[in-house]
Amino acid sequence: MISAIGAVLLGKEHQVRLALACLLARGHLLIEDLPGMGKTTLAEALARSFGLGFKRVSFTSDLLPADLTGLNVFDPGAASFHFQPGPLFSQVLLADEINRASPRTQSALLEAMAAGRVSVDGTSHPLPQPFLVIATQNGLDQGGTSALPESQLDRFLMRLSLGYPPRQAERALLQGEGLRPDDLSRTFGPEDLLELQARCDRQHCSAALLDYVLDLLERSRRQPGQGHPLSPRAGLALVAAARAWSLLQGRDHVIPDDVQAVLGAVCEHRMDGGQRGERDGELSQRLQAGIDGLR
Amino acid sequence: MSRAAAPLQWLTMGLLAVGLLGLSPTLSLSLLAFGLAVLTALKLREARSLEERRVVALLQLVGAGLLAALRPELGPSLLQGLAILMALAGLLALELGAGPDWKALLRRSLQVLVAALPIALVLFLLLPRLMPFSNFGAGQGMGAMTGLSDSMEPGSIARLAVSREAAARVAFPLGGAPPALEQRYWRVLVHERFDGRRWRSAAPRLPRPPAGQPTPPPPPPATPGEGIQLWLIEPSGLSAVPWSGAGRPLSADLTLQRSGELQNRAPGSQRRVYALTQAADQGDWRTEPPRPIDLVLPRGENPRLEALATTWGRLGSNRERLDAAGSWFRGQPFRYTLEPGALPRQAPLDHFLFETRLGFCGHYASAFTTLMRAAGVPARVVSGYRGGQWVQPVGGSGYVDLRQADAHAWSEVWLEGEGWQRVDPTAWADGDSLARTLAAGADRAGIPPWDWLQQQWWGLDIAWARWWLGYDSEQQQALVRRLLGDHRHLLGLVVLLAVALSLAASLGGLGWLGRRRSGDPLRLELERTLRAFARQGMAPQAGETLPVFAQRLAQRWPGLAGPLDDFVGHYQRQRFASTPSRMGRRQARRLGRVLRRSLRTGNRSKEAVQREHP
Repeated sequence: MISAIGAVLLGKEHQVRLALACLLARGHLLIEDLPGMGKTTLAEALARSFGLGFKRVSFTSDLLPADLTGLNVFDPGAASFHFQPGPLFSQVLLADEINRASPRTQSALLEAMAAGRVSVDGTSHPLPQPFLVIATQNGLDQGGTSALPESQLDRFLMRLSLGYPPRQAERALLQGEGLRPDDLSRTFGPEDLLELQARCDRQHCSAALLDYVLDLLERSRRQPGQGHPLSPRAGLALVAAARAWSLLQGRDHVIPDDVQAVLGAVCEHRMDGGQRGERDGELSQRLQAGIDGLR
Repeated sequence: MSRAAAPLQWLTMGLLAVGLLGLSPTLSLSLLAFGLAVLTALKLREARSLEERRVVALLQLVGAGLLAALRPELGPSLLQGLAILMALAGLLALELGAGPDWKALLRRSLQVLVAALPIALVLFLLLPRLMPFSNFGAGQGMGAMTGLSDSMEPGSIARLAVSREAAARVAFPLGGAPPALEQRYWRVLVHERFDGRRWRSAAPRLPRPPAGQPTPPPPPPATPGEGIQLWLIEPSGLSAVPWSGAGRPLSADLTLQRSGELQNRAPGSQRRVYALTQAADQGDWRTEPPRPIDLVLPRGENPRLEALATTWGRLGSNRERLDAAGSWFRGQPFRYTLEPGALPRQAPLDHFLFETRLGFCGHYASAFTTLMRAAGVPARVVSGYRGGQWVQPVGGSGYVDLRQADAHAWSEVWLEGEGWQRVDPTAWADGDSLARTLAAGADRAGIPPWDWLQQQWWGLDIAWARWWLGYDSEQQQALVRRLLGDHRHLLGLVVLLAVALSLAASLGGLGWLGRRRSGDPLRLELERTLRAFARQGMAPQAGETLPVFAQRLAQRWPGLAGPLDDFVGHYQRQRFASTPSRMGRRQARRLGRVLRRSLRTGNRSKEAVQREHP
């Protein structure tokens, strides 16, 4: 599965793995990178390999919430309103350049992400399951952007940055050896994904492992000047992501290595408040170095 | 405050209440203990806050200590120990918060108790003895609880129930040997006062020492080589206690009467332990000349008896009179029975001697003594125990087990030049129980399991009495003399120093235990292994996980990959898997040893290679 997606997204196996873990942990993914790095390709490849519906919305500054959620349309034949679902009603939604939309639209999206349903004119419409949002944002130094506040960043399970492919992989890409997402055969169905998500919840977290996570959280709160302290939701996200990661590693229990593998993706954006530092992952690495990982 | 606190404290209350059950209510200190227990229970009932619960725990500890002073025997001591353990666990549950569970609480409380042992030992060995608490204003003993009683009137008893209840146990430590079965007469009471019907003890009751009066000086200790009889008696209402009739009391609150009664100052309503020497020669009481009271006989009560005895009275010496009476007795068809039927109020002894001829020991002793007095021989009735089973508990020294059924009465007559002589007329009767026992052999075959268990317990009990309760002020002084020689004035300093030392040792031990508990054995094993690698210059980086570190190690020492994999895999499974194996600790220790050994041997071979190819 990972190798299949890896064939599409050349040289990015770790990021593919993280994205998959995010999907298994029922979390949403924020990809921050420059245009043209393969964000859309990743999202599409994930959706396709699970046979999930995939939609893409480019966020612009004039995008309104109703453009996402859909709206009640008057049907002259039936002389009544009926609901016309918007692009939110898909299983994988790629929200391109989310930080270019107005905060109002951003929050509409994020509320849908958190609650799993959409309310239009007083009626709740459940979103399809599984539901994964892959949002991309451009660097904040680029024009026409408004930063996501910390509270909304917290709702993304992971933030990834794809980065440039290695030279070898890029050569293969240029030679046309990579596959297009359309070429991927469907290996799993949506029900397989639900089953895998359920298995994630059953991954064993021993007391020693929880102690390790708790030590990490406590240290992030005790060390001033080392980024924002981690919230309890961050702790939940960390454990959920580590569970998914351990499942991907073929284990039935979680070990500190799993936590460390997802720590940067899960915690960095919560600690730096959306302001990516010079070196990505520095804060979480410093945090990790402060806690005994041997256990 | 842990949820276990309340159940633990109530459990302690229950144990204390059980401990109180055995206390004699006549003792003023036991009233204090009862009061304290009730107070504590009420306080526990109403306690809500942590402070109140603390007070309850401290009261419980004080209560257990008071009980320990009142009941120093083995069984109660075990119970008190358990109560203290629970009280401490309750206190710990209050102080340690919600964390620890029952098992952890009890373990910790046991550790505290064990840590207190050195101090207890120092105080036990060196601190000067208080006088026994049971000496404080005790009341009169309660009514007759044993097969023995101050007054004896066998004619009024139609049927004697045999009680298998325990009466006393006697051991002969220090090489003393029990007398032969037919010589086992344990005397308790001497009945000299006779009113024609009833025999009473003539010995005056010992006055209680008034409060504040110093206790009489302790008698000299047993000289080496002298045998000892160590008694452990069940509660009885009597102030007289059993003994073998030969020896000298080793305790200040025992007094030997002229009549050969051993009087006990402590109340008889509690179990107690005492010791006497065991002399080969008979005591002074045997040669003590008879008093007028030993010939007192109300005339005209039993005319036929008097007529018979008068014929013997014409004989020259007491010995001849005794022999005549003995041969007469043996010639009559007397039969031993426990259900003789009541004797008439008029001339009861005549009726027994010449009509029914059925009776138990009391009848025989009473009738024979009366006959002797009528014949002019000073005589008296002695009651006590006869026989008793010799029990050899597993792994302990033996003792004689006396039951209430072993209660017996016999006669003593005064013979010129010989002193008081024991005569047991019951032995002449047909069907006497001792004769039957002798015929059957001393060993009662086929002991029921419960009795067997009880006998083993008593063996422990008597050993405890010997080693623990038997450590009295004389032995203590001997120890102090041995330790300090002429510098006895330094005793206070020595005690203080020993207490301080043992306190430091206890606290140090407790601290060590606490530290050890926080570092779990699996982690200790890991750290031992890490140290071995650190000596080779490989230490884990900050925050590094074990598998990653192991990978680095395997890169440096490729030969270690196998053992490393085994150890790390096992460690990780133990730590993080849902079903760690039961033998995990031992397995981790084994794998760690294998790993360290292969590290050592690998290094050696590498050095060897370097030496050969520099």
